[in-house]
Amino acid sequence: MPTTKLTELVEELADCDPKERIEMLLDYARSLPALPERFADLRGPENRVEECQSPIFLFAEKSPEGVSWFADVPLEAPTVRGFVSLLWEGTQGASVEQLTSLSYDVIGQAGLKEILGMQRMNGLVGVLRRLKKVVSETAAS
Amino acid sequence: MSAQNYSDPSVLVSAEWVHEHLNDPSVKVVESSGDALLYPMAHIPGAVKIDWHNDLQDQTVRDYIANDVFENLCQKNGISNDTTVVFYGDDNNWWACYAFWAFKLKGHTNCKILNGGRKYWVETAKLPTTPEVPSYPATSYKVPADLDWRELRVFREGVLEHVKASLPLVDVRSPKEYSGERTHMEGYPEEGVLRGGHIPGALSCPWSRAVGDDGRFKTAEELRAIYEQELHLKPTDDVVAYCRIGERSSLTWFVLKYLLGYQKVRNYDGSWTEWGNVVGVPIVKGALP
Repeated sequence: MPTTKLTELVEELADCDPKERIEMLLDYARSLPALPERFADLRGPENRVEECQSPIFLFAEKSPEGVSWFADVPLEAPTVRGFVSLLWEGTQGASVEQLTSLSYDVIGQAGLKEILGMQRMNGLVGVLRRLKKVVSETAAS
Repeated sequence: MSAQNYSDPSVLVSAEWVHEHLNDPSVKVVESSGDALLYPMAHIPGAVKIDWHNDLQDQTVRDYIANDVFENLCQKNGISNDTTVVFYGDDNNWWACYAFWAFKLKGHTNCKILNGGRKYWVETAKLPTTPEVPSYPATSYKVPADLDWRELRVFREGVLEHVKASLPLVDVRSPKEYSGERTHMEGYPEEGVLRGGHIPGALSCPWSRAVGDDGRFKTAEELRAIYEQELHLKPTDDVVAYCRIGERSSLTWFVLKYLLGYQKVRNYDGSWTEWGNVVGVPIVKGALP
């Protein structure tokens, strides 16, 4: 069950031509919020997305609404950074259930496969899987 | 470069050398990165983008583009037959080495790798980048008529003969892929293989071991310690390198052929996505060859 916001953002991306889509993804990549300082020292193998070549870290913590999540993605990995930023923006205010039931189809629905090529999808799938894992573990803790 | 004692140091150029040659019409810088957004975001000034998937691979047949398509690709990117093409990219130049290998398949003579790739250019040398996409006058590129790729590339029948003759193979994938623990990523079984493991007799040596922390290749001594003292390969060996689709093994091919001067080393680009699915070929599971 995706959030309404994420569905809207994904549809907006899908409606663009591939060139515009690249520009939009770069905009997302630029707008990813910095990792809050309190997580900086926790960037270790246990919090890393292992499918990605670049060092990418995801964190979650309990919040009044349920669970909030945060990411650290290098500027030199703009595809993953853009995708993470899209997910982040699209899931603000989302419930734990909405986060943990995010579908892997979102990558295809956003039209990322055609601009990035199939082989590059592994990292994005890894991000999504890791996000669902940290959110469900935090919710259960 | 000579300080590194490479067998053929002419195939590597430094970031500083590239920076000095940005306006040299005989040099064309080509970015080949895995991350498709890197080039549009920012690249070396004057560099063109050649994508390993969208540009170099045929979209219908699992193979590299036909010669006339390659000619067209070079023509529109301002590359002539005598152009010095310098490849660089992300992921420690693994895609750049793949593009280098593909250009060699098509007979391009003067190919070089920017040592350290994007990582070294951006993070260590801190040299300029730009989002501006250049355009160049079209050339009249021609693929040579006497093209012979047999010293560069091997197909599965050749690999099977190689295995039967007990000749050395190097599997450059991660240890989990080598042992067969991992066959595909969750959600994308279409990218996977039916069986996990490796080609019988193949030695495991992940590609990234050839590269140092700053993205540049290790010295010849450090490389020999890995490939010769650890893996017991010799420069006179007939070696086949493979990975999942032949990209990571292009980097190992480059290292063995040019940096260590191996006389016969070929890339098996069918790699595990072919071997792991083929009817009638043997595999081995686990951490040992």
